[in-house]
Amino acid sequence: MAKHKAPKQPMPPLGTWIGPVALGWLVPGGGHFLLKRRGRGVLLLLSVTGMYLCGLAMRGAMFQPQSGDLLTTLINYGGFVGDVANGILYLLSVWLGYSQPDVAGHVHDYGTKFLVTAGLLNILAMVDAFEIAAGRKD
Amino acid sequence: MPKMNLSHFEAAFLFSLFTSVVMGIVTRKTDRERLLYGAYCFGCFLVALFAIGWVMRLGHG
Repeated sequence: MAKHKAPKQPMPPLGTWIGPVALGWLVPGGGHFLLKRRGRGVLLLLSVTGMYLCGLAMRGAMFQPQSGDLLTTLINYGGFVGDVANGILYLLSVWLGYSQPDVAGHVHDYGTKFLVTAGLLNILAMVDAFEIAAGRKD
Repeated sequence: MPKMNLSHFEAAFLFSLFTSVVMGIVTRKTDRERLLYGAYCFGCFLVALFAIGWVMRLGHG
């Protein structure tokens, strides 16, 4: 049975979405604030920031780009991208000298996962801001 | 910043809460759908948390 593919939507002009997406990266929920979706912006800000702060309080480790075998490369680069996606939270932590070695223990381990997941959730928020700015979503 | 010492359950509960809020916001189109989907995600996380917890407990004997 042939599957019907949805028609590919054209890419909207850069100027319409770059601001909300860039601000959404820098400040979690910032893209939604810029697009006047304040309620959603507040919830995103609280969720992503709350998760990141919990990760810091649990003394989670930050990933550094590091190559080695395939799995090591994937984990370290992927984790680094997740950390950087936290925007100003990540930049402030690094500038203020947060440097936690990767030590054993479930609390530290959860902390590391919280830091990366907060960044991944912020990427979802950026995609949402893109879709709203492009007119694909209310 | 004070150090947080959470149990597995507390950490997984917080993780579920934050993740469900964001999943609810970004995946649905109306506020009602967002609320329902966020609650659904949170419920799924908790069910999985208890189910996997019991599997591990039974697996360890």
